[in-house]
Amino acid sequence: MSKSTAFKSLLARHEAVLVLVILVEVVLFQTLGRNFLIGRNISNVFRHSVEIGLLAVAMTPVILTGGIDLSVGSMMGLCAVLFGMMVNSLGMDPWVAGLAAIAFGALGGGVNAVLITRLNLPPLIVTLGTFSLFRGLAEALTKGAESYSGFSPSFLALGNADIAGLPAQIWVFFTVAAGIWVLVHHTTFGRSFRAIGFSPEGARYAGIPVARNTSLAYIIAGAVAGLAAVILVARLGEARANAGIGYELLAITAVVLGGVSIFGGSGTVGGTLLGWVALAFLNNGLTRISDYRIMDQPVASVARELSGLLTGLLLLAALAIGASTKTLAVRRARKQSLSKPTSTPATS
Amino acid sequence: MNKYFRELTVAAALLLLMLGLAIFAPHFFQIQPLISRLTSQMPALILAIGVALVIISRQIDISIGAQFSMCAIIAGVTAGAGLPLGVAIFAALGAGALMGALNGVLVAWLGLPSIVVTLATMVTWQEALRLWQQGRLLPLPAGVQWFGLSQAGGQAVVISLTFILLIGAAWALKNLSAGRFIYATGTDAEAARLAGIDPKRTTFGVFVLMGILAGLAAVFNMVQSPQVQPNAGDGLDLKAIAAAVVGGVAISGGRGTLWGVLLGMLLLANVNPALTHFHQPPYWEKAIQGLVILLAVVADGLRSRKNRL
Repeated sequence: MSKSTAFKSLLARHEAVLVLVILVEVVLFQTLGRNFLIGRNISNVFRHSVEIGLLAVAMTPVILTGGIDLSVGSMMGLCAVLFGMMVNSLGMDPWVAGLAAIAFGALGGGVNAVLITRLNLPPLIVTLGTFSLFRGLAEALTKGAESYSGFSPSFLALGNADIAGLPAQIWVFFTVAAGIWVLVHHTTFGRSFRAIGFSPEGARYAGIPVARNTSLAYIIAGAVAGLAAVILVARLGEARANAGIGYELLAITAVVLGGVSIFGGSGTVGGTLLGWVALAFLNNGLTRISDYRIMDQPVASVARELSGLLTGLLLLAALAIGASTKTLAVRRARKQSLSKPTSTPATS
Repeated sequence: MNKYFRELTVAAALLLLMLGLAIFAPHFFQIQPLISRLTSQMPALILAIGVALVIISRQIDISIGAQFSMCAIIAGVTAGAGLPLGVAIFAALGAGALMGALNGVLVAWLGLPSIVVTLATMVTWQEALRLWQQGRLLPLPAGVQWFGLSQAGGQAVVISLTFILLIGAAWALKNLSAGRFIYATGTDAEAARLAGIDPKRTTFGVFVLMGILAGLAAVFNMVQSPQVQPNAGDGLDLKAIAAAVVGGVAISGGRGTLWGVLLGMLLLANVNPALTHFHQPPYWEKAIQGLVILLAVVADGLRSRKNRL
């Protein structure tokens, strides 16, 4: 029992640190930059990072089971292209085509799921293969160059309009994030993700259908990638094969920054959301700094590279800190289990 | 026979592809373009040799493309500063070793999963490079291209050194204790430790070696053109991993040969020229590569399942 609370307080501490990081970012960008903390900019920040946020919350169950999905960015490219084809070439209604794109995403996630859970193949290499396959199909379908545009204004509103003072797509994001939060933290089904990640064998002996539940995590990830693709197309007004390149990395970074253990078994959706906000602020904040220079360039003009570099370093730091706290927790747990040999290992 | 099943299958597929090309597109075998194509694949082959060692030790390294780009730029900048080519080569290898060592420390001693560690270092090197070079092409001084030799001479040097490396590494992997340590660590790290092998040191060493090979690959790529592209390594990581996996290196560690890697690389490298020679659009290349990787892992999965039953 005490171990479980120790672990919980560890996660709580991680989230507190993240909140602090976000506050520091806000103060820093507000003092060094221009117009960071104004309503229009903040709503812009979220408008531009909804896609990555969607991928990150959907990646959370996958990583909780101890897996990984490298294919979500490529899946976005494929779904964007399929969506564009359905609307432009088949003349489908964009909303119906959007649902179909989500279904295609779920199908792609199903391919990952079957290979990983039925054939017992490592998620890393399977999704590396589909990473290449999905992007390759997207490029092949567009002959490497074509793109689709000219969507109806009512559809483009999904990416560019405001609803009740907030970007339209943020409401979609809230719904999905809330759904996944309820699934992971308040259903038996979702709690099994962490049990599987903690110990697949143990979960199996506890009567959890490991293959079926793990499959669902990948199918959700695929479906949400399809949704993210539709939202991206609505925001940009254009569907291309290169949609979502590199997004899988950003999503994984947000999840790991959020304190979800990359080994599986522990972490929260709330943590992922905080990690996502920290990344989104970093990305936007640097573009607001035009009075300071780095390597003879205004910070704002190299913001993309700089925030990429900082993202990589942050991820490394979060990993190293995560690893050392895990070692500490294990050491503490071992000490306790020596004094109380009957205690069972605690999940989360 | 069964032991080399994968190598033989890939060899047969390669042979079939060659046969098809010989019948339908004999231009493919004109000697000069063939040598140029072979030379251009040598850097990727070197990366594949390195990543095969990493995978055999049950790790993965997806930062090798970024390492490759970084080493290429460091070598280019060193050579551009008027220093002798030898110094530039040494700088590339040294930078590779350092980058590999960082991965090695994080994976071997902090026990972090190599996929995430190398994902993070990949982003870090890639973005640092973009910040540093802003995507500029780096022109090289005269005397760097083909090591200052004739084109044919330079090609001969690159090809022969790569094959010497391949043969040497294959021999060492089979016959030296250090080579066996890599298989032992990848098969079962705990058993290896009980047998007196230090799996952490082995893992660390493999990552450092990977970095050095990325540096060497960058040098062999640099000498083939009059300038260095700052994104030369983009996508090479995936290509190298695909070659290793297709060539029968098991992603679960402990199994695979460098001969398989060579065959896998030749097969994948010929997808694109074959598409061109069969007058098919080239944009199918990535999809075909992904499919080949998936086929290879599925074959692995089915085989290990059969063995279990």
